[in-house]
This record gives sequence, structure tokens and C-alpha cells, in this order.
Amino acid sequence: MTARRRTQTRAAWLLLAPFLALFALTFVVPIIAAVGQSFTTIDRAGLFGEDGVTSEFAGFANYARALADSGFVDSVGRMLLFGVVQVPVMIVLCTALALLLESASARWPQFFRGAYFMPYGVPGVIATIMWSFFYVPGLSPLLDITQALGLRIDPLGPEMVLWSIANIVTWTYTGYNMLIVIAQLKAIPTEVYEAARIDGAGPWRLAWSVQLPLIRPALVLTTVFSIIGTLQLFTEPKLLQTVAPSIDTSYTPNLSAYTNAFAFNEYGIAAAQAVLIALAAFVLSYAFLTVTSRTSRRAKR
Amino acid sequence: MRELSRRRLLGLGWGAAAASVGASVVAGCATPGSTNVNRAAPVPRSDEPVTLTYWSWLKDLQKVADIWNAQNPRVQVEAVWIQGGNDGGYAKMYAALAAGGGPDIGQVELRQVPEFLLANGLVDLSRYGAAEFAERYAPSLWNQVVFEEGVYGIPQDSGPMAFYYQTALLEAVSAGPPATWDDWRELAGLVRETGPANYLEVFPASDAAPFTAYAAQAGARWFRIEGDEWVVDMTDEATMRVAAFFDSVIDDDLVETGYEAFSPGFYAAAGEGRIAALTSASWGDALLQSISDGAGKWRVAPMQTWPEGDYGSSALGGSTAAVLAHSPHPQEALDFIVWMTSSREGIDAMIEHCGIGWSPSAEYIGAARRRPSEWFSGQSYNEEVFVPASRQQPEWTWAPLTQATLTAVEDQLRRKLTDGQPLVDGLVQAEAATLTAFRNKGLTARSAS
Repeated sequence: MTARRRTQTRAAWLLLAPFLALFALTFVVPIIAAVGQSFTTIDRAGLFGEDGVTSEFAGFANYARALADSGFVDSVGRMLLFGVVQVPVMIVLCTALALLLESASARWPQFFRGAYFMPYGVPGVIATIMWSFFYVPGLSPLLDITQALGLRIDPLGPEMVLWSIANIVTWTYTGYNMLIVIAQLKAIPTEVYEAARIDGAGPWRLAWSVQLPLIRPALVLTTVFSIIGTLQLFTEPKLLQTVAPSIDTSYTPNLSAYTNAFAFNEYGIAAAQAVLIALAAFVLSYAFLTVTSRTSRRAKR
Repeated sequence: MRELSRRRLLGLGWGAAAASVGASVVAGCATPGSTNVNRAAPVPRSDEPVTLTYWSWLKDLQKVADIWNAQNPRVQVEAVWIQGGNDGGYAKMYAALAAGGGPDIGQVELRQVPEFLLANGLVDLSRYGAAEFAERYAPSLWNQVVFEEGVYGIPQDSGPMAFYYQTALLEAVSAGPPATWDDWRELAGLVRETGPANYLEVFPASDAAPFTAYAAQAGARWFRIEGDEWVVDMTDEATMRVAAFFDSVIDDDLVETGYEAFSPGFYAAAGEGRIAALTSASWGDALLQSISDGAGKWRVAPMQTWPEGDYGSSALGGSTAAVLAHSPHPQEALDFIVWMTSSREGIDAMIEHCGIGWSPSAEYIGAARRRPSEWFSGQSYNEEVFVPASRQQPEWTWAPLTQATLTAVEDQLRRKLTDGQPLVDGLVQAEAATLTAFRNKGLTARSAS
């Protein structure tokens, strides 16, 4: 019995080995390296460091510099503003779409499910390039129409560009989140619906009192993913930079880390910023989960 | 990117920074760039056949290398295409250098050469006899590759500037190309009156390079070396004059600031006649030709000058072929680079296959550029405009903090547009930010003022 168990354990490890090796090499080691790098600074002697370059333990100096950089701090604030607006909009939108498609009176639900999900299949780079053609004055048919109506809108101007990015993100991820919610809706047993109908619940009542409470876990999940995604915004602003002068090199926290690492060759600060982003994502997600689990416990009572 | 990060909750930002750092960890935890190859003995010419690799973002560079390869069986050159410098090419070279490898030759922009010195990433070619080729190159270019008597790259192309304009749009306001920046301002006002969305030119807030070039034309010199100290001077009289000029131009709404040159919005506006002109480098000629229906509508004139300035033009962009630190064959690499950048055969091939910017040679502009251009209204603009435009400020040099400096200036250009903060104040702040960047790198630097 024990011998058999041992061979089973060995087989399990053997099968896990390829995953674990890659996971360690491409995930665990880089994270450890980044954390290590975030505590390192480089000192130079001479005009270019030609007389010697030394690497030193910096303590929290890189973190202090990252936090003293107003561009980086502003970018975190900008992402919080973005998240506070975009995440609720997207979650409400995806829930509404899911409820509509799962309601009894929905027409062609499969077709619309596919159609709404489609934007998620478009790579972020392509989606951004495509949307940028709707945003650039002179190229955009939408702006031609608004101009004909006498409105001068500049989606790439300093005030609007954040919401233009929010629009791309919402367009891409609403369908994806909708599918998660639909999956949860499909898991609700039909007896629950029957019972509710016998009690005289109409479609509104059904959605509000039966479906919404039961899809709560899916909503929590999608919200946490969206919060993390918000902090990591990179592709859309990076690409829109070419058409929107107001997007600077530290427009989002990730863009800031990218600039430090690959334009300024300042890996220490970039690593410190990356660690801070990860911590912020962790704290925000944890806070959200705590709040939701507390309110759900209270609701049960 | 969001999609990926969903799966890895800990985050791609973390991962991206970490992955690049991973390379140096794998390389054995040595501090990247801590060894200076220029202190070791020079590598002698090899007795064996040699294969050199050249990392560059020029298209079809192999076709140029093949011409050399056919004549030099013992030194074969292999061109490897990489992303443009700031789009990942430099990051790739830095990573390779940190890992102790990399190609023999790398394409490094003039302004990036000192940044590579900071990584101890370039071979001092003066130790391989590069100084004897100095007179083959334009002095303003050679000056930018020499630091403390070392030669750290060979100029490969450059970008003397001129004024490109749509003839009909200037004729519509009964004006010709401007001789001075004051004329330019007047012309901008006239064009502005022809329609609510019509402008003479764009002024980019997201790219500090044009502003820097205008300041250099006015005589500014932002960086110099005194002893073992860098002196940063971004608030000198010339720069302040240029900053005040553009403050008033932007305040009077005389330039389009919504997009930069060669962006999709620019092409659309230029095609529809909403942008009448562009002050840009010689390499802009090829880019302008993608304006739809633009053929025959554009001409080129000498760049407008500052009244007090002594310089007829300025330069935008330009790159070098530099020998990277870990090259086992720097001598052979130099032979090839000198052939490629200064022989008639090399220059003509670089123009034909790679479409390089202005020839770095002091004497030869390339056969293809001596012919008139149909697109530019039959004008022989290269000989007419750009040959004289090579007379530029010869003292300008870049410093190891080019990227940080340009970013600092860009931040202030944006603040001008978003908060209305004058550029004359912004440059004081940009200089302070640049000095901080110097000190953060462990270098000694002070302000000139």
C-alpha cells in the first residue's frame, strides 16, 4: 500500500515537474530577482562610469525615489480615478447584458453572446489601433459627424484621453466578464426559478431577488480581476501615445516602470515601482474581498 | 496585457521588470557594465576569417553588407534587424551587453552614444585608428561621437533641417517661405486666418527633439564637460529666447499642438491642406511622400533662422554605427563601418537599400540625391537646400542622460499645453530634473547658472 502510494506520489511530481520548472524559471526567480533589484543601486566613478561601476545595497532608497516621483504618484491616482469610474460601469454593463441574454424573452441569445464576446478575441494592440482611428480628428468618421453637428470633441485631448482609454477597455472586457456571469447564471437550478414564479415573481423581481444574489461570487471575481487589470493598464496608453501628446511616459504606473527600465536603464527604480504596483493590486483586491465577505455575512444574518 | 495579467494575479508589470532583470541574474549577478573594455589591451587583427554581426533597424541592410562581403571574403558581415532603438532595440542591446555578449556592431543614435558609454557598452575606436578618418565626416557629426578624445561610434546618417511647404497654400496668403523665425511667425498668423482648423505647422508636445534642435540652432549648448564634472545649461540665453518665442506662438494659437509630425492625424491634415508646412530633417522627405495626393504640391526651402543666431540650420536625429564592448573583432568592424559610411559605394548602397538619412560624409551626398525630385515639384532640393544646411552649430554634444533630459523637457511642453505654464519656467524645472537624473546615476553634475 505505502509502496504504491510512493510511486503515485513520484508520478505526480514527475508530471508536475515540467510545469514547476517553467513556473520557477519564468515566474518565481524573476520575482525574487525584481525584489532584489529593487533594493540595489548603482554608483559610478568618472564622467561615464569608465573609472568603475559598483552595485550597492540601497535599502529603501529606490522606493523613496519612486514615491517622490510626482509622475509616478500621479499615475497611481489617475488609475484609481479610472478604476472608480470604469470598473463599476463595466460590471453593471456586463451584468445587465448577461441578465438580458439569460432572460426567458431573449432572442438569439447564442448569436449575441458570441457578438458581445468577440471584442475580447481582438488583441489589445489591434483594438487600440482600431479605436485610435475613431479618435484622430480628420480620420474619424465619428468626429466628422459631431463636427457637422457643431460639436468640437477631442477624444485625445488632456481631459478626455483617460476616458477614451476607458472606452477601449470597457469595449474589450465587457463581453468577457459577461460570459463569467452567464456561466454562473446557468448554474442556478431551474427549481429556484420555478419556485420564484409560483410565488408570483415577475422578470424584474426574479433578476433582483434571485439572480443577482446568486451570481454574487462571479461579480466579486470579475471586479477583483478588473481592479488588478486597471492598475496594470499598459498596452492602450502605450499605443495611444503616438496619437495623443497628452499621454506622457508615466501616464500609468506600468508605463512609468517600463520607461525607467527600458528608456532610462534604471532597473532599480523600475523594480521598486513594479513591486509597489503589485502591492497596491494586492491591497486593493484584499480590501475589496474583505468588504464584500463582511457585507455578505451581514446579509445572511 | 490585461488579459495575461488576469491569469497571473501577481502581475505582469512585476513580471516584465523582473524578466529583464532575470537576464542579469542569470549572467552571474555581476553589475552590468562594471568592466571597461577600453582599459584592456586592444584586440589585434585576426588571422582567421571573421564573421561580424550588425544589429540595426535599417531595412535591407544585408544587401549593403553583401556588396562588402563579395569584396572581402575574410570579413563577412551579417545584418540582423532589430526594433528601432527606443522601441526595444536599445533595451535588447543593453541586455546583451549586461550578459556579456551582443553583436559586433550596433546602430546607436548620435544622442544615445553617451548613454551607451554609461553602460560601458562601446569600444573606443580611437585605439583602432579611427581618428585618421575624422576628416571624412561632417565636423558637427564627428564632434558628437568624440568624448574625452575617445571615438565611440562612426556617424552613419544625420538629419539637417529645412522648411517643407505646400506651394499653393503659401501662395494663397501671397507669401513665400520664411527667411527668419519672425517671418515664420507672421506667416503662421496669415495661414491661421484662412480657416478655423488651418495651421502653418505642428508643434509637438510629446517629442522634445524638435525644440532641442531649434535651441541648438539658436546657439544653445546644454551639456559640457569641465574636469570630471558635467555642466548642464538648459536655461542659457539662446534656449530662453527660443522658449519665449514658442510661449508666445502657442499663446496666440499659431501652431497645431494636437498631434505631432508624421502621425496619422498629421498625414490626414496635410492631405486636406489644414497643415501648410513642416520644419523637419532631410529624412522627412521620404515620410512626406506618403501624404495622399501630395505629389507636386510640396517644395523645400532653407530653414528659417534666428535673427541673432549664426547657424543656417539644425539637425534632427541621426545615427552611428558603433562597435559594442564585447566584440571580438573591433578592428575588422571599424574597417567595414568606415567603408559603409564614407566610401561612395557604401553611401550609395545605404541610400538605395536602407533609405538612410543625410550622408555623414563631408563630401559625398550620394548619386541618387543629385537628381531632381518629381514629388517635390521637380526641385533638386538636396543640392539646393540640404547641402548648405549641413552648416550647423559644431559644438553641440549630448550627455549620458539624453532620455531623461528629453523626457523632462517633454513633461514641461505638456504642462505648457495643459496648465499654461510658460516654457521659460518649464525649462528651469527641466534642468533641475535633468540634474537629479545625473546624480541618481551616480555622476557628478552641476548647473551652469
